[in-house]
Amino acid sequence: MPYVIGAECIDTTDMSCVEECPVDCIYEGDRKLYINPKECIDCGACEPVCPVEAIAQDRRVSDDNEPHVADNRRFFVEVLPGRDAPLGSPGGASKVGKIGVDTELVAEQP
Amino acid sequence: MTATDTLLPEGAKDGVRRIDVDLLVVGAGPAGLYAAYYAGFRGLRTAIVDSLPEAGGQVTALYPEKMVYDVAGFPGIKGRDLVAGLVEQAARFGPVYVLGERAEHLTDEAGRRPRAGDRLVVTTDKGTRISTGAVVITGGIGTFTPRPLPGGAEWEGRGLTYVVKELSAHAGQDVVIVGGGDSAVDWALALDGLAASVTLVHRRKHFRAHAASVADMERGSTVLVTDAQVDSLEGNDRLHTVHVKGKDGAVTPYKAQSVIAALGFTADIGPLETWGIDIVDRKIMVDTAMRTSVPGVYSAGDITEYPGKVRLIAVGFGEAATAVNNAATYLDPDQPLFPGHSSDDPAGIGATAPA
Repeated sequence: MPYVIGAECIDTTDMSCVEECPVDCIYEGDRKLYINPKECIDCGACEPVCPVEAIAQDRRVSDDNEPHVADNRRFFVEVLPGRDAPLGSPGGASKVGKIGVDTELVAEQP
Repeated sequence: MTATDTLLPEGAKDGVRRIDVDLLVVGAGPAGLYAAYYAGFRGLRTAIVDSLPEAGGQVTALYPEKMVYDVAGFPGIKGRDLVAGLVEQAARFGPVYVLGERAEHLTDEAGRRPRAGDRLVVTTDKGTRISTGAVVITGGIGTFTPRPLPGGAEWEGRGLTYVVKELSAHAGQDVVIVGGGDSAVDWALALDGLAASVTLVHRRKHFRAHAASVADMERGSTVLVTDAQVDSLEGNDRLHTVHVKGKDGAVTPYKAQSVIAALGFTADIGPLETWGIDIVDRKIMVDTAMRTSVPGVYSAGDITEYPGKVRLIAVGFGEAATAVNNAATYLDPDQPLFPGHSSDDPAGIGATAPA
């Protein structure tokens, strides 16, 4: 039951959530942030601090953001453009820094 | 041996705190507290170690005010009330608490990698040496450390603190508290009137803390500086000024001899990875008896992994009971695995234990 970041984050990336996350599981793409579903402990600390209300628990996302449930996972399990392996579970976003690329779904947004 | 002869920590001549028990629980979250109860029920002398200064693990550190709805027997219970109940339940058997200390090393008594049947020794970052027959690791998501205040490192011990240990240490001082969660607001409330002044700096307008506490704070004399963050600290030997930067970029100095940074915690499995136990993706692999790959070391709760694992407090309680009862038979193979029913008082302690 991880939390999920939706489309509102695209081109916002305020990073307040990154500061709150106790397990450092929110990773920075290029235009959006992504929560690693394998590392999220479901504590909910990120949800109220998002200035654009992009974050919700996966079971409670808005219909518009439904595709982002799978897309947050995709960011970690699929090979992102310009990389030769999936991110997987690095065990902390600060260990890997800004990833700098997005999933297809996000990159295609105007 | 009875359950009430729990040894108190001894102050040894060499200044090393030594504790001698049958079972050591590593992690004082819900699963660990319940393990401590169960170990007491099995007549085991028990100690419980945690890096946080208070019991309750992530419930206390991250969401003490959250309602929890999926603990058996409680249609709804506030996180901190659940923790209080668990502490009370375990207290019947007087476990030794070693709080504010991180379990660092696991060895045998000679400092080597332990083998089956050896007494185990766990040492903490404060040097406490805990000798035990068995260990139950209920480490949850790992050991918590306060999130550091950017640029604050050189001020630790010279005015910057992360935890309020004693309110009186801040009496008569100008105090700046940084953060917007329960800890920040609770400390602002507690210091209001005791400190010379209290200023709370929070980078947003909204507080995550309990609404009633925020309302209390707003009625008090705490100066609230929102949409702002600490830019830099200034002082000589000791801190005297905190520079706070607003959203507009303007920097305002605040007189302060004390800064308390309550920016939450980060968790890391940390030293456990050096204990020689089988850990995959920061989770401890266990079998159906909650045994880890090291003899005498068991595990329970969120930190464990096995096929079909479900990470819930309810599951952690069951695993804690399984771990402790199996540890009891490891310690004394003549003991039955099944502890008996608590209502039958099989350990014979009901009559003598304090109510």
